[in-house]
Amino acid sequence: MTILHTKAISKRYGGLQALSEVNMTVNAGEFLAVIGPNGAGKSTLLNVLTGLTMPTEGKIWLDGKDVTRWATHARIRSGLGRTFQHGRLFERLSAVENVMTGAAVRKGRSEKELQEFAMSILHRMGLSGVARHQISSMSYGQRRMVELCRTLACEPRVLLLDEPAAGLNSGEVELLMERLTALRAEHQLAVVLIEHNMGMVMRLAERIVVLNFGCMIAEGTPAEVQTNPAVLAAYLGEGYSHADV
Amino acid sequence: MSIRTLLGLVAILVIGGALSLVLSDYSLRLMNLAVVSAVAVIGLNFAFGYSGLISLGHSAFAGLSAYCVAILTTKLGLSPWVAMPVAIIATALSAALIGYPLLRLKGHYLALATLGFNVSFTIVAINWLDLTGGTNGIAGIPHLSVAGYELSDERSFLWFALISLTLVAAAAAAIHRSRHGRAMIAVRDDEIAAAMAGIDVTGVKVAAFTLAGTCAAIAGCLFATHIRFVAPEDFNYAHSITYLAMLIVGGEGSIAGAIIGAVVLTFLPEWLRVLGDAYLLFFGLMMLVILVILPTGIVGLVRRISLKRRSPGDETTNVPARAGAHS
Repeated sequence: MTILHTKAISKRYGGLQALSEVNMTVNAGEFLAVIGPNGAGKSTLLNVLTGLTMPTEGKIWLDGKDVTRWATHARIRSGLGRTFQHGRLFERLSAVENVMTGAAVRKGRSEKELQEFAMSILHRMGLSGVARHQISSMSYGQRRMVELCRTLACEPRVLLLDEPAAGLNSGEVELLMERLTALRAEHQLAVVLIEHNMGMVMRLAERIVVLNFGCMIAEGTPAEVQTNPAVLAAYLGEGYSHADV
Repeated sequence: MSIRTLLGLVAILVIGGALSLVLSDYSLRLMNLAVVSAVAVIGLNFAFGYSGLISLGHSAFAGLSAYCVAILTTKLGLSPWVAMPVAIIATALSAALIGYPLLRLKGHYLALATLGFNVSFTIVAINWLDLTGGTNGIAGIPHLSVAGYELSDERSFLWFALISLTLVAAAAAAIHRSRHGRAMIAVRDDEIAAAMAGIDVTGVKVAAFTLAGTCAAIAGCLFATHIRFVAPEDFNYAHSITYLAMLIVGGEGSIAGAIIGAVVLTFLPEWLRVLGDAYLLFFGLMMLVILVILPTGIVGLVRRISLKRRSPGDETTNVPARAGAHS
């Protein structure tokens, strides 16, 4: 079942065509990766999907509803969730309070319920020990995880992750992959992953969309993408082969 | 309500009450003005301290409310107890209506727009002679009476003002600890991340601005019934800047800071009377020093000292965030 769908999404900044007629579908519970070289339009695509930037042309449907002109918060309340490339947290709030802001998306929860829900997510992600800490006292990896917890607290059905492994060490990346796999299985969460870490992409993604200069140049399973000549030329390079993954 | 908040609220009543028994009539008058300012500055804390909205028009909302009370009581003969709620509701609605278009602006653009609103308010108050009395203002606002007892002296009014301040501080502390308080802080810290957490950023800004206007309205009611006279110069833009200075000196983002800042800056001219006209120079230098050395104000300094005592080796770890911001 399609949960997120775009039709001919384009975004132009003056003379720069950041996205050009991108058609993309995300199915419920699916793990989709979006890859492409720097400047390919990956982050612009996430900005358009979340309403931070309005598309110049095209439509976006979330759960069958046209959300193209919806404000960001309305899309989040309807089931989208997103993390950022460098992690954006509320520095004056503690970790648990950061997560509680996300949990407040669902109306009718008391303060106690909000706190319990936030604590359960932090516990799940191994952060209960730092729940009351200041954000500024946390490591980069912990901050990224707190941001992920806050996004999960919004109870999204489609999770958009903008380079979640950037800046993490190999142990933290491994942990992140384990937790994403578990979360997805448990909540039937659709995940859209933008990532330069090809090992992570090839291991987690069921389907890959490749962007180059704002255009979708390929779409398919990891195996198909790895052998696609256009992808090899544009992104992975002529010398890249399946064995390198 | 946390024990800490409760203790803070009791402290307002106990310290204020004790001072009311020992201070001279003149000092009591200053104390009343400090308490009125504290109510207004707690409001400004919603806009600036929590939500990061620089408002230089706060005094205009106090003025709007004070003029409402003055007009309703002197021209229509209404009781102050009827006039005050009407004034507060009218001012809150005005704040929401003015805030909605203004809050599309950010940073210094918003500051200039709110400053323009305050200047406009003063011009209207000076020139709408039939309604406001122009520069002569409106005199003869009746005393407040509680259970037949007229609050005509400074001491009795101070008790009423202290109770009002305690109630406003309690409400502010409750909002601060709620999802609405967190949403305001989130909006100030990062608007994009706030929207991504499902927060209606525009709605939160308008709510914060309206809350600020409501507190300013309560302060305006207290001012009108205390001084029993309103004039345009009591609500010009200089007062808005003073409110902002009070919040910065006390500690923005903190209810205790708002109260301490209001008291300190109300009494400071008296304490420094010996300096004569050089007071303003001292005041300017003090603001500069506080902005550079103590950006978190007096409350921030106290917090830092207490954290150092608790964990001398490490100030950052195991520190609960948002430690301040209580009464």
